[in-house]
Amino acid sequence: MSLSNQTTATMKNSHKYYQQRIAVYLTAILFTITAGCGKSFLDVPPQGQQPSEQFWQSQADATKGVNAMYANLREWKQVGFAAVGVESLGSDDTEKGSTPADASFLTTFDNFSVSPTEGQLLDFWQGQYQEINFCNQVIDNVPNINMDAALKTRYLAEARFIRAYANFRLVRAFGDVPLRLHLPKTPEEYNVARTPAAEVWTAIEQDLTEAAAALPVSYAAADKGRATKGAALALHAKVAMYQKKWADALNFTNQVMNLGYTLFPNYEQLFRIPNENASESIFEIQAQLIPGNKDASNSQYSQIQGVKDAVGGGWGFNVPTADLAGAYETGDPRRDATIIFRGETTPEGDAISSAGVNPRFNQKSYVPFNKFVSGYNEGCDQNIRVIRYAEVLLINAEAANELGNAQQALSSVNAVRLRARNGLTGILPDITVTEKTALRNAIWQERRVELAMESDRYFDVIRQGRAPQVFGKLGFVTGKNEVWPIPQNEIDISAGKLTQNPGY
Amino acid sequence: MKKLLAGHERHLYALKKMRSATIPFLLAFIILLQTAAAQAQDIKITGKVTGGSTPAPIPGATITVKGTARGTVTNNDGTYTISAPSNATLVATFIGFSSKEIPVNGQTTIDITLSESVTQVEQVVVVGYGVQRKVDITGAISQVKGSEISKQPAPNAVSGLQGKVAGVQITNSGKPGAAPNIKIRGAGTIYGSPNPLYVVDGVWYDDISFLNPADIENMSILKDASSEAIYGIRAANGVVLITTKKGKAGKPAVNYNGFVGFQRVTNRVKMANGHEYAILVNELSAQNGQPDLLKPDDFGEGTNWYNQELRNAMITNHQLSISGGTEKSTYSFSVGYLKQEGIVKTNDFSRFTARLQNDFQVFEPLKIGYTVTASVYNSNDVPDAIFGQLYNSAPIVPVRNPDGSYGDPSKYNLGNGPANNPQVTLDFYDQTTKRHVVTGSVYADLRFAKHFTFHTSAGGEYGDSIIRNYTPAYKATTIQQNNISVLMRTGTDRTNWIVENTLTYENKFGDHDLRVLAGQSAQQYKLYKLIASAQNVPNNSEGDRYLRLGNTDGREVKDEGDLYTVASYFGRLNYAYKNKYLLTASIRADGSSKFSGDQRWGYFPSIGAGWVISEEPFLKNANIFDNLKLRASWGKIGNASIPANVSVLRVAQDPYLTAIFGGNVNTGASINSVVAPVTYWERAVGTDVGLEASVLQNRLYVEAGFYNRETQRAIFDVPFPGSVGTRFSTIITNQANIQNRGWEFTVNWKDEPGNKDFSYSVGANLGINNNKVLSVASGSNPIYGGGGAATGGALGTRTVVGQPIGQFFGYQVEGIFQTDAEAAASAQPFAKAGDFKFRDVSGSHGTPDGRIDFNDRVPLGNPNPKYTYGINTYFSYKQFDLAVDFQGVADVDVYNANLGLRFGNENFTKEFYDKRWHGQGTSNTYPSAFIGGRQNYLPNSFFVESGSYFRIRNIQLGYSFPADMTKRWKMKNLRLYLNAQNAFNFFKYRGFSPEIGGTPNNVGIDNSVYPLYATYNFGVNVTF
Repeated sequence: MSLSNQTTATMKNSHKYYQQRIAVYLTAILFTITAGCGKSFLDVPPQGQQPSEQFWQSQADATKGVNAMYANLREWKQVGFAAVGVESLGSDDTEKGSTPADASFLTTFDNFSVSPTEGQLLDFWQGQYQEINFCNQVIDNVPNINMDAALKTRYLAEARFIRAYANFRLVRAFGDVPLRLHLPKTPEEYNVARTPAAEVWTAIEQDLTEAAAALPVSYAAADKGRATKGAALALHAKVAMYQKKWADALNFTNQVMNLGYTLFPNYEQLFRIPNENASESIFEIQAQLIPGNKDASNSQYSQIQGVKDAVGGGWGFNVPTADLAGAYETGDPRRDATIIFRGETTPEGDAISSAGVNPRFNQKSYVPFNKFVSGYNEGCDQNIRVIRYAEVLLINAEAANELGNAQQALSSVNAVRLRARNGLTGILPDITVTEKTALRNAIWQERRVELAMESDRYFDVIRQGRAPQVFGKLGFVTGKNEVWPIPQNEIDISAGKLTQNPGY
Repeated sequence: MKKLLAGHERHLYALKKMRSATIPFLLAFIILLQTAAAQAQDIKITGKVTGGSTPAPIPGATITVKGTARGTVTNNDGTYTISAPSNATLVATFIGFSSKEIPVNGQTTIDITLSESVTQVEQVVVVGYGVQRKVDITGAISQVKGSEISKQPAPNAVSGLQGKVAGVQITNSGKPGAAPNIKIRGAGTIYGSPNPLYVVDGVWYDDISFLNPADIENMSILKDASSEAIYGIRAANGVVLITTKKGKAGKPAVNYNGFVGFQRVTNRVKMANGHEYAILVNELSAQNGQPDLLKPDDFGEGTNWYNQELRNAMITNHQLSISGGTEKSTYSFSVGYLKQEGIVKTNDFSRFTARLQNDFQVFEPLKIGYTVTASVYNSNDVPDAIFGQLYNSAPIVPVRNPDGSYGDPSKYNLGNGPANNPQVTLDFYDQTTKRHVVTGSVYADLRFAKHFTFHTSAGGEYGDSIIRNYTPAYKATTIQQNNISVLMRTGTDRTNWIVENTLTYENKFGDHDLRVLAGQSAQQYKLYKLIASAQNVPNNSEGDRYLRLGNTDGREVKDEGDLYTVASYFGRLNYAYKNKYLLTASIRADGSSKFSGDQRWGYFPSIGAGWVISEEPFLKNANIFDNLKLRASWGKIGNASIPANVSVLRVAQDPYLTAIFGGNVNTGASINSVVAPVTYWERAVGTDVGLEASVLQNRLYVEAGFYNRETQRAIFDVPFPGSVGTRFSTIITNQANIQNRGWEFTVNWKDEPGNKDFSYSVGANLGINNNKVLSVASGSNPIYGGGGAATGGALGTRTVVGQPIGQFFGYQVEGIFQTDAEAAASAQPFAKAGDFKFRDVSGSHGTPDGRIDFNDRVPLGNPNPKYTYGINTYFSYKQFDLAVDFQGVADVDVYNANLGLRFGNENFTKEFYDKRWHGQGTSNTYPSAFIGGRQNYLPNSFFVESGSYFRIRNIQLGYSFPADMTKRWKMKNLRLYLNAQNAFNFFKYRGFSPEIGGTPNNVGIDNSVYPLYATYNFGVNVTF
């Protein structure tokens, strides 16, 4: 009995002993784990994403930032539907294209019925400001980087050039727009009102002046495609032309004409891939099919304008009008080089179906069908010609004529016609008229046919003050359609800080 | 059978002490009495006690002879033997079941079927970090038993909750393998996963697709903030606690559940046929000033693309489980196989699951155990775009031409809208997904010093998935071709773990009942994804599907990952005085790596009180209420379901930033986003008041509750001025306070009216929720949403103070312009005949200004349902059982984006054809075929429709073979059933299904939603 009791007691004790020991062990584990849950456990760096503090530290960062700025130029909102709608379709040279119901919202640009809620307006707006952000990132951050001084100066100048280009596209399309010359820092700076167009133009000119002063005339082969001194001067001349600052326009074009640019002999071939960045090229947006990198092969410029319902063609938007086709002088080779006609065979041998809905397509954006690779955008290889030497000559001609120098005007405009002839005789005779108005009209006409389908006609006609006469039949309303409406979403988000353009 | 048993294991566990001490004593006493009172006419009665919705034997049920103290307890297979007078009445009782009286009437075999009681004082509910008696709970917790879920055989257990619980809204996706959306008490959060936290045997999950519904023992839905607060960090969307089945001491129980059935699209939308389509296309061309495109008389019915690509899809499910054990150790093992065909041809999904669970009572105070689940999923996928293509494709295009080639939409000059032949899309889409998930937990429970229990557990999840996509080189139509093949593999690894330790002190002294819990937890979630592709991979067999066989140039590699950690401390106090006055208080502190600096830690307190009025003497003696309880609670919960480091500005290094110079590739990077300087924890503060009553011998249970939950500092992705120039014109930041306030009612009635062969139950629940935005950081300025492709890029929803979240917003349609002249003279000068006439509501100065612009947009509808309800009925007569469940939502709107989302000559619905405007006087409600053009596509009242629906969610008729037959077949139980889910749906919506998900400020926008389908099953439950 007592033995049994003893045993029970021992058992109980050992039981208790185990219990307590286990409790101690487990409690120890608990505290070990708890201690392990201190600060370091919760400090997890962003995964696969570099925090911004690590950026803008080195020359390599500056280089990447500048690269991003250039790369973004070929992004959808820069060269896609938005650009076509805002910068091309309003003109008498182009119309929506494709089938009538396909992306019918683009028709509202054709017939001036666009509403502020139209998505392409917002895309265009966002696209340009995205570009400006990339420029401002460089302009605000690169000065603080310890790097090669010459390179730093050049990078900043490149950023100013690109920023001027984006601001030019904005002010031309909308008039007064928020002017962003630095990255916003305070809440007030995020939501800003529109700056008067005149101030925007001034800012553009200042950027271009600084860019032209610092940019090199040319680059080594590996850097081809970057902004040059010539590009800054040429864009500045164009900007001056839009403001009727004829002396500036003349001066800057004269400077460009001394930089060694030449007209490429074959107008049609000028727009083909092998002749990208040719002697006539002043600034081109570089685009390329990069195998294995679809996101970087992202230009849709040629795709949206390509021949519809053809493998390797495209969507068939922004097509030349009959009006444009009829605008050329008899025998002008630029007509066939600018317009792909239904049923024709292109010089590169692509037979265009005669059964398509669209009678004409843009040939300047055309990429031969055999360049197409499945999975990539059609024509993603094609560079986008922003400014050509031919336009510099035409600006020079226009400015010279406005300033009363008919001889220089004739010399420049006829240089363009000479190239257009490309050795043929009996066509495109030299312009000889010296009467100011007649010569102005001749130069304007030359601009129309030389630069057709390059997003100039629409804004040219408006700046020339002829929009009511030329676009009136398309629905243009004077006092309203000189600028597009400010995107409604932006007005909504700004809580009324942004105002709408008159008439919308 | 073991399945059922396990269902009550917790009840048994809770009462174990009482039973072990009291029952033998009672029995001894009974036997003594019995001997004394033995009478000559006693007969020996044997029988079997079964119960549950899928009747299974009940071991441990008590059988007594009424009016005497004679009694016995059923053994492991539910059988009993008792002696009783031939005219006596037997009373069978078992915890969790209604007791039943059966007159002996000289029978010697009496099988007794017990039905589960709706409310019993003893009912135990799973709560956060423990279990509690239902009567002691001070929050709003709904419990759904595994048996209830398995009544509605579905691949995902969450589907089975639809209509079962007041205040819980389930939106099924329909896609095989996809998890349904679940919203508990309205939309409380906007960013990240809107799904609740699932805690399965102590491990935290976002999704429970890996779980075989048949393995679920119990689901507890924590609905109020005080119950949820113990899960602080992830509780803002509600918490669903799931316990899986465990083994039970006794002989091995083998159970097989299987069903086979098919799924069939219901409520199909009729599209225009070829002839009608041609007419519409010509009308559309005319609207664009173009000549006729098609000759309508050339076309008849044409192709019905839905008939062509959809099918009656088979579904098969098998589940086998074995469980059993000894006093010292128990086990449960189950394997399951599910194969579900998609309603789209070529789509299928299969899942294998295996689960093993063991518990060991190492010695008296120490219990350890583990659960491990392994799942393998395989699917043959179809592109999500297929539903849009079926809706849009032109009926005039044949699937195949007479020569066998594919019908080519481009040959009909129809433009980019209906450019694809859906058959080609399916034929050349070759994607398989394989997923493996291993998950589980181990635990140890140690009791010491009489009142303490230390619980430690470690759990985790390892999952990997591989998506193999191969696009062959092919040429099918003008648009649908590919000149170089591409193989792409997407691999994802997921590694999560959670370690938790809790210490519980439990004591009863006098009238005081006290329980204190303290705990600590640490968690880590890690994800890594690698995407690689190569071109020109050969196509001879699956063995060729290696990237290494592809071209060396053109290879692409991308990766991304996510990692975050959480550390937490928590505590809870439960106190009851005289089982009458209840108090619960808890606090949790969570630190998350997603937040930085001072905002890293969030604190989430809660308090609840209950008053069991039925325990008060004045009611106790009145014998009206079996239970009457008033409860009230308050709590604060958090939502960390946002991306990590939202306040950390990051560098953009996307491939699109690659610059080209001189034909060379130059890597680009920059900063193209903006982050808010500080992001605070989003949290919700909730108050809950409820009244629970059981009357008429627990036959009627009524619960009514009121709740108010305010989500504070809700984190939004809000539109941001585009002029800042960020990549996406949005910023993630704390933006708004949102209120969900409402009522919940639950009524359950169950009875066995006199006739022992018949029993029934009827339950109904109703949730009424009002969602309202209380404040927005931008003041009175709304947050717009819905500006995706579905609304043509226009912002179609807004979130503004005083209105529900994500309210539809746009123009009010007044009619249709009948003539161009009428339009030209109107406030919409660019409109044409057949266009919508919008109401001129306001100008910039607040009064109508004779023009239609953004000032004229008005609220058009509310995508948040006000009413969600369900009615669940169950009848059992002899060997038959029947369950019929109804479910619905009411007072909700949806946006039918399919109607206006057009790029050209997409097909139209037949209804549109019939009602459209096509000339003066033809319609003043439906526009012309140019519904996708001019201003017609802009968000307006025509596209907003009622999303209310009512459906017969589930009908199940079962037959259980009588015990004597099953015995002969060496079975304990055999039941067959027929089941129909979603067979009857009633709604006015013009689309395929009014069940449309989406993120809260874009919810309810139907852009090719998965069609609604019904499922018909035949199933077998057998227990050996």
